[in-house]
Amino acid sequence: MKNKMLKIVKSWEFVLLLILVLEFVVFGSINDKFLQPVRIFSNITNYISICIISLFVTMVMITGGIDIQASSIVGLTSITIGVLWNDFGFSIWAAVGAAILLAALCGALSGFFVAYCGVQPMVVTLGGSFLYSGLGLVISRMSAIPAYQGISGFPSKNEDGTFSSFRWLGNAKLFGDLKLPVQIVIYVILIILMYILLHKTKYGRSIFLVGVNPQAAEYSGINTKLVKMSTYMLTGIGAAIAGILLTSQLNSSKYDLGSTYTLSIITAVVLGGTLSTGGKGSIIGTALASLVICMLRFGLTLCFKMSSQNLDLPVGIMLLLVVSGRQLLRIVRHMDA
Amino acid sequence: MHSDGKQKLLVVKGTTKAFGQNRVLKGVDIAVDRGEVLALIGGNGAGKSTLMKIIMGIYQPDGGQIFIDGKEVQMTNPAVALAEGVYMVPQEPMLFPNMNVLENITMGFKESTLSLRNRLVKIMSEIGWKMDLSRKASTLSIAEQTLVEILRGLLRNSKILILDEPTSALTFDEVEAFFKVVRDLKSRGIGIIYITHRLAEVFDIATHVAIMRDGQITLEGPVANFTREMLVQGLLPPDATHEAELKENTTKIDYTHLKPIFELQNLSGYGFQDISLKVYPGEILGIAGVVGAGRTELVSTIFGRDKVLSGKVILDGKDITGKKTRDILEAGIDYVPEDRHLHGLFKISSVAANTTSALLKDSVMGKLLLNKRQENRITDKYISDFRIKTMDREELAGSLSGGNQQKVVISRALSTKPKLVIMDEPTRGIDAAARGDVYSIIHHLREDGVAVLLVSSDMEEIMELCDRTVTVFQGHINGEFSGNEINQDNLTAASFGLVNNE
Amino acid sequence: MKEFIKKISGVRWVSSLLFLIALFVITGIVNPTFFSYSNIIACFNNSCVFMLLAIGISFTIMTGEIDVSIGAVMGLTAAISGVIAQQNGSWLPMLGWAVLVGAVTGLVNGIGVAVLKVPSLIFTLGTCGVVRGIVYIYTGGRTIENFSGSFTRFGNSTVGNTGIGVFFLMMIVIVAVLAVLLNTRRGKYFLAVGDNIGGAVLVGIPATRVKFFAYILSGIFAGISGIVFASKYGQITIIAGNGYEMSAVAACVLGGISLSGGLGNVIGAAIGGVIMSSISRLLVFLGFSSDYDNTITGVMLIAIVVIDALTQQRAIENARRERLLARAAVSGQ
Repeated sequence: MKNKMLKIVKSWEFVLLLILVLEFVVFGSINDKFLQPVRIFSNITNYISICIISLFVTMVMITGGIDIQASSIVGLTSITIGVLWNDFGFSIWAAVGAAILLAALCGALSGFFVAYCGVQPMVVTLGGSFLYSGLGLVISRMSAIPAYQGISGFPSKNEDGTFSSFRWLGNAKLFGDLKLPVQIVIYVILIILMYILLHKTKYGRSIFLVGVNPQAAEYSGINTKLVKMSTYMLTGIGAAIAGILLTSQLNSSKYDLGSTYTLSIITAVVLGGTLSTGGKGSIIGTALASLVICMLRFGLTLCFKMSSQNLDLPVGIMLLLVVSGRQLLRIVRHMDA
Repeated sequence: MHSDGKQKLLVVKGTTKAFGQNRVLKGVDIAVDRGEVLALIGGNGAGKSTLMKIIMGIYQPDGGQIFIDGKEVQMTNPAVALAEGVYMVPQEPMLFPNMNVLENITMGFKESTLSLRNRLVKIMSEIGWKMDLSRKASTLSIAEQTLVEILRGLLRNSKILILDEPTSALTFDEVEAFFKVVRDLKSRGIGIIYITHRLAEVFDIATHVAIMRDGQITLEGPVANFTREMLVQGLLPPDATHEAELKENTTKIDYTHLKPIFELQNLSGYGFQDISLKVYPGEILGIAGVVGAGRTELVSTIFGRDKVLSGKVILDGKDITGKKTRDILEAGIDYVPEDRHLHGLFKISSVAANTTSALLKDSVMGKLLLNKRQENRITDKYISDFRIKTMDREELAGSLSGGNQQKVVISRALSTKPKLVIMDEPTRGIDAAARGDVYSIIHHLREDGVAVLLVSSDMEEIMELCDRTVTVFQGHINGEFSGNEINQDNLTAASFGLVNNE
Repeated sequence: MKEFIKKISGVRWVSSLLFLIALFVITGIVNPTFFSYSNIIACFNNSCVFMLLAIGISFTIMTGEIDVSIGAVMGLTAAISGVIAQQNGSWLPMLGWAVLVGAVTGLVNGIGVAVLKVPSLIFTLGTCGVVRGIVYIYTGGRTIENFSGSFTRFGNSTVGNTGIGVFFLMMIVIVAVLAVLLNTRRGKYFLAVGDNIGGAVLVGIPATRVKFFAYILSGIFAGISGIVFASKYGQITIIAGNGYEMSAVAACVLGGISLSGGLGNVIGAAIGGVIMSSISRLLVFLGFSSDYDNTITGVMLIAIVVIDALTQQRAIENARRERLLARAAVSGQ
């Protein structure tokens, strides 16, 4: 028992938790608006796509791969929903379903090239990011509405002022005065689901084994190629979920939504302790890391009046410090040994 | 450093090195003179490679001195060693696969390409080698790659060549050609340190021999002073006695009413041809032969890792020819691979995850969710049955010692309850105590009626364990032995192709 | 002659060049109006920014690493050049700043990747964020425009009546010089390190220094591309250069440079840069809207790498199997 406690305290997740607490203490003491739940919630919802997608990319990275196309699938999903609903007469939920299917196919296609053709994941998903964002633009041209405007006017408010169906996902708030956005509830559910999937199922175990030693995994009878491909497919679905929420929240369907997320997603995954060479990582770590980044951005804008456009700087510095620090620690430890 | 009144070419004195708690070198002395070939032999993990890397300046020693021509040298990095005329041909040739032969050899020189090329052509004609200098390195065979590495050393006017198991990946003919080169270098006054696992090579090629065990030199001197048996004795750990006892308890198999559990019918694939054999339940069938004879290719093809070209594989009456690895596992064959690090172990995963990795398809481990309790039960069983030394089942497999890692890999293979276990060099590079444990595991399998296919280059291991043995030579079975026929003479002769029973 | 053809067809940038020519020819067949001197030369004149970026990053890719901070570096030096141009400043300080910014970023990247051994994608991602932040601080979030006329005029000026852009001419010189330099034995160090870093160290190549140097070069080229960018477009927003690193990587892949390192050439990078920047123009002539730009790039990129990977794997596998067959056949009687 004591051992277990020690293990938790020594874990990277615990360090992230401490940083998160520290952020609350520091920013909270400078400006008590930082501690208002409504503000915290709205800040997380602004960052929710990155939070969600990074959970999925964690899996890809554990298999030793990388996915830089997910952010382009966000926009593809969004515009697909819009065009199908607006111009092809789909019901909104049918459009959502079709978009998820398309996103899964996109992910699976790239995953196929990575797993079955042995192409480097970096290159394939780079190609994928061009292809899928291009596809989004092409689809947007099928609409009567110009691409730059975006498709809006999704089923919106009921007569009693509550959000109806689709818009409810991205805008409604739950639990009375707590005003917890639906998006955050979905995020929490996703964390739990992904945690179980990665850390508690046989599939999750095979993801780790494939990442640690793909050859040995083959010798253990694990279908390594299928496992690898499936992680890219799941990431496509994850990106679709983000795209749906974003479309619903903004009430606008655009092909270039999310196009700038790539760096933030990778940052969150790496900061969460996932090894970029594969074999190690955790959903909790990634979730905590995205919150750490999210709160840092929030705190800096709120307390130091930094422009929200200029938040790459602190995030970049944090990423550099963490990876360099971790590496330095390893080198020092190696010298000791 | 004066010996016989003159200075030796290379003298290493009192070298010590530790990695963390692990003392790899405990004060090693070796010396090589011009025109000498010092064969350095010893098991994996004895410290040979570490010592060579220290001489080459890749590792820094904790203590000790290195003298070249009587002058003390600090080998702070490989560039210094190169400048002092030391060159190491690593076990796995370190070529630039995308460059051609000439670029590979001349890379890292300051001289002009033209004069280098001229010198290279001269050297090659002197020793009688022909090689197309514009070929890409990725198209070279392993033997050719080794030659390129040696040329690199010669072009640098190296006085001391370190050859780290140069023949391990060579075919029989290539070994012969290679020995000619080494003899030639010897006659040109170059000092050679020759690391090998094969005792026969010591008598073929070396002038001096040193045996290394557990970070120390245990025996050394001119080759003429030793016999094969003396070297074998020197390699064995002092406490290697209990192994012989095991054999006596085993019973002879009565084949009359048995049906084979496993059968190969004229199986051909990449690296082997026309292999037929039968294995009976509770039998240990040895596959002897030298490294490179096609044994690993044979067993890994049976296991579904490569294409079957013709013939049949039959397990328990069912034809499983050409199936995928995961189907073969399900059918009831499991494999302990030759290369533990590459194909066996998940180093940064826990012992438990390693042990159960082949069971993930099995419902024992849960339907969808991982059944942690079963995992713990299975892992604990193997930890206690096989005496695996680990802190607990959550310890990372990579932090275990070699022998215990191997036991984990064997646990993985046995966890699927196979009808046939293929063991490919199961005791390579592990210490004597672990070897004894592995032997008793194999014996228990036999008692439980599991068939075992044992691939080994270690003749004594084959003699110790096997009920019957086939020998493989250049991709073909060229001999079958049982009972008393399984002896050193028969096996060695057949492994090297010297049989007359066909 | 046959020997020569065999040798030259094995060079990867030659196939890229053939690919580029094929693209031009196909476009010309579909739409003959494309076949004019001015159209074709324009493809080259407009490719300088991509060429510079691709050449720079090709050094890091050759050593087996990657540098995704180049887009940000370009954005920063473009902004600096823009501000200098607003004050009617001369080329020299622009160049000075470009080299300084690029070299410093490269130095930081070099420390992270070569010394600390942080995976390069992650470390340069971090520096990318930092440099982007500096861009914002430097510009105060404003778009920089209204340069002195001479600056933008120069960017679009040509050499005499030939129609060849001044920048493009410089590019040809730079590529030629680099191609020669890289063919020296020291020049080959980049490829050697990417090909087999362990082997490189063993023959005495200072691998850490080589990687350092690659990052500094990558940074400097990105810095210079910023000046060209500013001069050509006359307007620098704070997100200028966003995503350009990905286009540069794509250009290298199209130019036959292997992302696993050890294979490729600056000439290939330059040709890849031309392909990347010409696609939208070619699409217009082919009658597509330039909306298909990214789609086509993506398809092209994936197709090329997949075919490349499959042929290479097959070659290795065949060699292995042949060897094993030969071994078993020796005593085949």
